[in-house]
Amino acid sequence: MSFISLIVKNPFRNKTRSILAIIGIAIGIATIVALGIVTDGLKSSTEDTLKAGGSDFTVMESNISDMLFSSIDEDYVDKIMETDGVEDAVGVLTAVQPIGDNPYFIIIGIDPAKLYLSEMEITSGSAFSSEDAKELVMGKVAAENLNKTVGDSLTLNNTDYKIVGIYQTGNLQQDGGVFMSLDNAQEIQGEEGKVTMIYVKIEKDANVEQITQSIEDKYGNDLTTVASLEDLQSVDQGLNVIDTASWAISLLAIVIGGVGVINTMIMSVYERTREIGVLKAVGWKNRRILSMILGESVVLTLFAGVVGIVMGVVAIQVILAMGMSGIIEPIYSLDVFLRGFLVALIVGLVGGFYPAYRASNLPPTEALRYE
Amino acid sequence: MNEENIVEIKDLRKSFDKGKVTALNGIDLEIKKGEFVSITGPSGSGKSTLLNMIGALDRADEGSVHVAGYDLTLKNDLSEFRSREIGFIFQLHNLIPNLSVLENVEIPLFERNLSGEEMRERALKLLEYMGLSDKVNRKPTELSGGERQRVAIARALANEPSIILADEPTGSLDSKNGQLILEHLRELHEKEKVTLIMVTHDMNVASLANRTIEVLDGRIKT
Ligand SMILES: Nc1ncnc2c1ncn2[C@@H]1O[C@H](COP(=O)(O)OP(=O)(O)O)[C@@H](O)[C@H]1O
Ligand SMILES: [Mg+2]
Repeated sequence: MSFISLIVKNPFRNKTRSILAIIGIAIGIATIVALGIVTDGLKSSTEDTLKAGGSDFTVMESNISDMLFSSIDEDYVDKIMETDGVEDAVGVLTAVQPIGDNPYFIIIGIDPAKLYLSEMEITSGSAFSSEDAKELVMGKVAAENLNKTVGDSLTLNNTDYKIVGIYQTGNLQQDGGVFMSLDNAQEIQGEEGKVTMIYVKIEKDANVEQITQSIEDKYGNDLTTVASLEDLQSVDQGLNVIDTASWAISLLAIVIGGVGVINTMIMSVYERTREIGVLKAVGWKNRRILSMILGESVVLTLFAGVVGIVMGVVAIQVILAMGMSGIIEPIYSLDVFLRGFLVALIVGLVGGFYPAYRASNLPPTEALRYE
Repeated sequence: MNEENIVEIKDLRKSFDKGKVTALNGIDLEIKKGEFVSITGPSGSGKSTLLNMIGALDRADEGSVHVAGYDLTLKNDLSEFRSREIGFIFQLHNLIPNLSVLENVEIPLFERNLSGEEMRERALKLLEYMGLSDKVNRKPTELSGGERQRVAIARALANEPSIILADEPTGSLDSKNGQLILEHLRELHEKEKVTLIMVTHDMNVASLANRTIEVLDGRIKT
């Protein structure tokens, strides 16, 4: 028998207690994993939005708490176009309206001449062509959810817009909404002459940092540049709030799981007091007893890790099946699963240490006298 | 220290509960290599405490304890000493319930650098020696009291100790099974030349030994 197989066997001596502990910890891990899957999806679609159409960076209003609140003068589009090294720039107005089941139905206004920059694929019909026509193109997901097709119309602010095409970009937020001309979007939103963001594409050999720096130097009072998700997090509080909340929940799960493990392992050590005395009598070093109990604790929590990851994925599937598939875009990355395991490992080590330390320091004669 | 002595104890004192209970009150004892000594005395007289001192399960308050060349009053880790020199047999078998008979006998071997195969072979040989070859894969709960105690003896022998310390090894057995255990112990002493120190309050059992020591109120009665 190997030491490892001894360690793996021990936690299952008291099956009920171990299973209860595993469930408790697994719920915590499931929460962490589910949150990770959702926030990763959110980050990735936000990143897609930032880098829409292969742009190199995005310009937003400075000093705002959330990118949704950004609003800048359309004139800046031309000013940025004139900046050295800039190849192209396009102003986009983004609005969010509740439509159908989707509270975050997104409406994107863009100059029809620059629509190609969004890298959308028109799957049926055609793109809208003029600034003034009451036309739009609808994302595949939105079309499915609203049961619309080319030739139908969509009413926004009491105006009917004709659906001239269906598109696909691969980004859930975009595919769940519509694109229309910038003028139309500004009218709907009551934001004449404003855009939310400006997407900037730079010349081949130009340096992103130099260009963003020169834009911030010139227009820093009104504008800020975002070249990556990290940049965005220093501008946009929304992502930070989500990050902080998921950390706080993770921490809570770790603490609750840790207390559960300490409790379970203390009970287990207490019940086995005599046995620990015998192990000392047959010559086991304190360190071996410590590793055994610590190992048992980690076996318990890693088991909970596996169960928790499965529970987390199942929970996401259930949420999606309940009709949230238009809002949540899950990303199942290896990273999230590793995070689940890492948390399980930490809970096992932290929660197991005190019981293991106590067991290893039991005076052998007292342990052997224990009834 | 006399070459022939495997145990040399001088003026050993030990108290518990912050000095309120005196368990050993000045013990002097010498035991020769290969001797079979029984320790008798009334309950609470200090027999187990003395045995635990010899096996380095506890430390002396005062006095000196030398066993198999180790000075047990020096403050270092004595697990190595216990692992190499001592085999304990208790009144209760103290086997680990979720492990098989074979695995229970392997337990002391974890402190050796043995492969799984070597551990297994050694444990199987000891179980064969104890007449338990057909029970190696059983759980302790599936054995009789006498069989469990034989497993405990096999476990005590796993590390080829120079001294076997047995604390009332027949105390929880009926006389037939007790007799069998004593036979095994005596055979060990005679064939393997191990030093055997056995605590018992049964005079008949004690008389099997080469020498009997009587403990009374923490002292050896002369
Ligand atoms: N770990 C301990 N803590 C407190 N008192 C103890 C401890 N071990 C032994 N004693 C006390 O020391 C005395 C001798 O005990 P022990 O050596 O077990 O006696 P015996 O084995 O002869 O019955 C008893 O009074 C017992 O209560
Ligand atoms: Mg006793």
